[in-house]
Amino acid sequence: MSVRRLVLRLLALVRRDRLDRELDDEVQAHLELAEHHGLARGLSPEEARLEARRAFGGIPQMKEVHRDDRSARWLEHVIGDIRYGIVSVRRDPVLTMVAISVLALGIGANTAMFSLVDGVLFRPLPFPDPERIVRVWETPTATTSNSTTTRNFVELKARSQSFEALSAESTSTATVEVNGTPTRLNGRYVSADHFSVFGIQPLLGRNFRPEEDQPGADRVIVLSHAAWQAHFGGDPGVLGRTILLDNDPHEVIGVLPPGAFDRLRSRPLDDPASFWRLNAFDQEELRASMHWLNPVGRLKPGVTVQQAQNELLGIRAQIADLIPAWKQAWSVKVEPFDELLIGDRLRQSIYIALGAVVFVLLIACANITNLLLAQGAARRQEMAVRAALGASRGRIAAQLLTESLVLGVLGGIAGVALATLLVQAAVPLLPVMPFTAEVTLNWRVLAFATATAVAVSVTVGLLPAVRLASGAEATALNSAARGSSGAHERTRRTIVAAQVAVSVMLICGAFLLFKSLARLQLVDVGARIENVITMSIDLPRDHYPSGNHLAAFYPTLIERVNAIPGVISASLAGDMPLEGTGGENLRMPGRDERLMVRFKRADSAYFATLGIPVVAGRGFTTSDRAGAPNVAVVNESLARRLRDRFGMADPVGQAVDLPLLGFGRDRRAIMTIVGVIGNERVQSDLRAPAEDVAYVPIAQAPRMQVKLAVRTQGEATAVFPAVREAVRQLDDRLALADVRTMEDIWAGSLSGLREPVWLLGIFAAVSALLAALGLYGVLAHSVTQRRREIGIRMALGARANDVVSLVVRGTLSMVGVGLLCGLAGAAALTRVMRTLLFEVSALEPSAFVFGGVVMAAFALAAALVPARRASRVDPSTALRTDG
Amino acid sequence: MIYMSTFDMSNLPASKKELLSGTLDLLVLKTLDTMGPLHGYGIARRIEQMSANVMRLSQGSIYPALIRLEQRGWIKTKWGVSETNRKVKFYSLTRTGEMQLQVEVASWEQTLALVSRVLEGKA
Repeated sequence: MSVRRLVLRLLALVRRDRLDRELDDEVQAHLELAEHHGLARGLSPEEARLEARRAFGGIPQMKEVHRDDRSARWLEHVIGDIRYGIVSVRRDPVLTMVAISVLALGIGANTAMFSLVDGVLFRPLPFPDPERIVRVWETPTATTSNSTTTRNFVELKARSQSFEALSAESTSTATVEVNGTPTRLNGRYVSADHFSVFGIQPLLGRNFRPEEDQPGADRVIVLSHAAWQAHFGGDPGVLGRTILLDNDPHEVIGVLPPGAFDRLRSRPLDDPASFWRLNAFDQEELRASMHWLNPVGRLKPGVTVQQAQNELLGIRAQIADLIPAWKQAWSVKVEPFDELLIGDRLRQSIYIALGAVVFVLLIACANITNLLLAQGAARRQEMAVRAALGASRGRIAAQLLTESLVLGVLGGIAGVALATLLVQAAVPLLPVMPFTAEVTLNWRVLAFATATAVAVSVTVGLLPAVRLASGAEATALNSAARGSSGAHERTRRTIVAAQVAVSVMLICGAFLLFKSLARLQLVDVGARIENVITMSIDLPRDHYPSGNHLAAFYPTLIERVNAIPGVISASLAGDMPLEGTGGENLRMPGRDERLMVRFKRADSAYFATLGIPVVAGRGFTTSDRAGAPNVAVVNESLARRLRDRFGMADPVGQAVDLPLLGFGRDRRAIMTIVGVIGNERVQSDLRAPAEDVAYVPIAQAPRMQVKLAVRTQGEATAVFPAVREAVRQLDDRLALADVRTMEDIWAGSLSGLREPVWLLGIFAAVSALLAALGLYGVLAHSVTQRRREIGIRMALGARANDVVSLVVRGTLSMVGVGLLCGLAGAAALTRVMRTLLFEVSALEPSAFVFGGVVMAAFALAAALVPARRASRVDPSTALRTDG
Repeated sequence: MIYMSTFDMSNLPASKKELLSGTLDLLVLKTLDTMGPLHGYGIARRIEQMSANVMRLSQGSIYPALIRLEQRGWIKTKWGVSETNRKVKFYSLTRTGEMQLQVEVASWEQTLALVSRVLEGKA
């Protein structure tokens, strides 16, 4: 098409009124001239007028063609259709509201879920060149990863060429005075090039300088944006200010930009890291064998993970003589940073939730399609009129599609609004997400929402549009063709069967997850969960300069807390149940064999306070103090291991060699096992079997960071103010942190399963409801259509019950086919959830029974309403009216 | 230049498919070439007379053809007064229209020749 004609066509769009008027004038003139000629030929005026009309042909048809030819007619159509779509959407407000709500639900849930997928799986690291960021691990075995030692890190860093930056990270806590109150903050120890690893620059101030992580350098810290806002009022004057971390002066040199580093947590329940300080390794640390550093590095451009790994393996061989004999077999591993952040389980949870929410959307679409089909039946006359007035089949279909597009766009807008709320509601979920995940409605998410809305519009509109448009020509204005055609009815029933199938799959999946969650909740934690509150206390080094100071403080504190009304008992330990505890080597004296065990400090009241039973021998007593003979307690699992491994029939009274990680020291001692206790779950993962744990008296291995557990008569949190006051009276510089009940901790250990369970449960319930709604719609429609038939049956003697069973029987095929397909689909699909399941088979029969029964119940409930209405049909009225 | 609407059937009402589409444009151009400025009715009458009873034509169908040709710049309009004293549009060929007519005629003859050859070959 030439440019000239294109422009003219577009102009015609604007000038359509004038062009139409001119055309009308021309037609009038034409007819007049034709009449004039007719009269001249001797026809009567009436004949002349009829003849002129006949010769001219169909005027409306000609006008249609004229408009098509002269302008960008499709555009004109689109505008007209949208206008008409809005009108018809407003004509049936109930249908419209239902359709928009259902679509908003589907689109909103999908958009929110996509923002999660986008933030966590597609763009997990909001840093430049994220593929170059790696973790470095030591690997005791092929499948385990461990932190590294100071010495190994220093050697790796000095010798390797693969890294642009390599930082050793470990957790740190510090008590800082905030607005006059000692407050314990979480933070990190890092190397000076830490933020170069992530390629981020401080928002205010500067990065660490290379010389600043050397021994003797002035101490400096960088603050997170959130901490700067919360604790320093967002005051830019904080730069250059000296703040005391555990009474140690540190100069604030920078504040990070807002974002990922506001959410860096060691454990989901912890407060995020607030500060970054530098590791300056002195000679003593270089000699220590503690594995405490987690290196994170940025590869040089062009260096692959594999190349870096090979280089580090070579370096490890070079420094072999620095590594103790028993760790010679260990290896090193370089791993992309995001792989660690996003575990298989999280990845799978997200994909399953996404799959489920797509199913929900499909079911929602099916409902709208059914609604439109039903509505279409009522609009058949309207379409027939349009066809008679010259609208082509394509035009009618286009108009109907535009109407569904209007629905889709409105549903999409409402859906994005809903997604905004859902993403807000998902904020509490963030701690179980990688700290780097930015879950927001960015332009990619909005593009997704738009594409979804359009796809949904086409999906829901196409079938009714084609159906109705082709029907319009065939039925024309023949009113005898009223009512629902067989093909029409079949389509709607097929759609309902598909909805039932998808819902059954979701119900089965949700059931499996709920059952896993129930099983996981039944796992014996081995420790009291109810009415126990826990908190951590950091004892600053300048006030408690030796192990003896610490050991002297512990019983004083316990005595004070025990005196609080409502407290049954109080106890101190290195770690609380389910919160994780370190691993150490247990050796047999005189033998060159070692066992990796969990290592935990506990005081004399720990086992009683947490209700951990003493199975053999005794627990700790107050006489297991510093200077007394070294003793240890083992759990049943370790006792069994000692018997299997070392033939120790009864561990009580036997000697083992354990580290005595005391205050600032790193030494081992031979100690006597004095008792065996029940298996306390020390790690948070309840799916894993109970681990072997060795306990030592906290008085014999004192440390600055301790946990206080308080068991109460009533609500555990109620005693916290009194505990805080008791601690303050003892030492007003102590900060209590990580205050949580054992119930919180236990609930936290279920996170990662609980969220997908509830999500899938909600999706399954919504989809079952939508499917029931769809079924109800079809049945209600068919009952209305069959009023005459039902009336005849009743006139011929059918009773109400017969009618009910007639209608219900009509649902059987629909629901039955749906159920069968759904159960088959569930059998095929539930296996993708295997890693989320716990002590439940993916082919658990009860899930299929449950899915089938629940869906059948939903279907029956949906069928009964229209069935009862049918049974109340009054034969005389039904037969008299022609409805 | 390719004559775009030669086989474009969609431009005509479905009921009038017996008129080979595109030919109408050619007939309008030819009519204006021979007769000079004419109003719509005049063009329709003329074509009807020329085709006598060979081709059935709704007179109305020339109006879409006229707007098409006008937009292409092959014909132009001028307001005038009809025999019934009504203000009507008179259509006449433009320079491009005259040239286009040559092209159309040539292309028509080519098509005709091709079709005849095929038909004769088949017979």
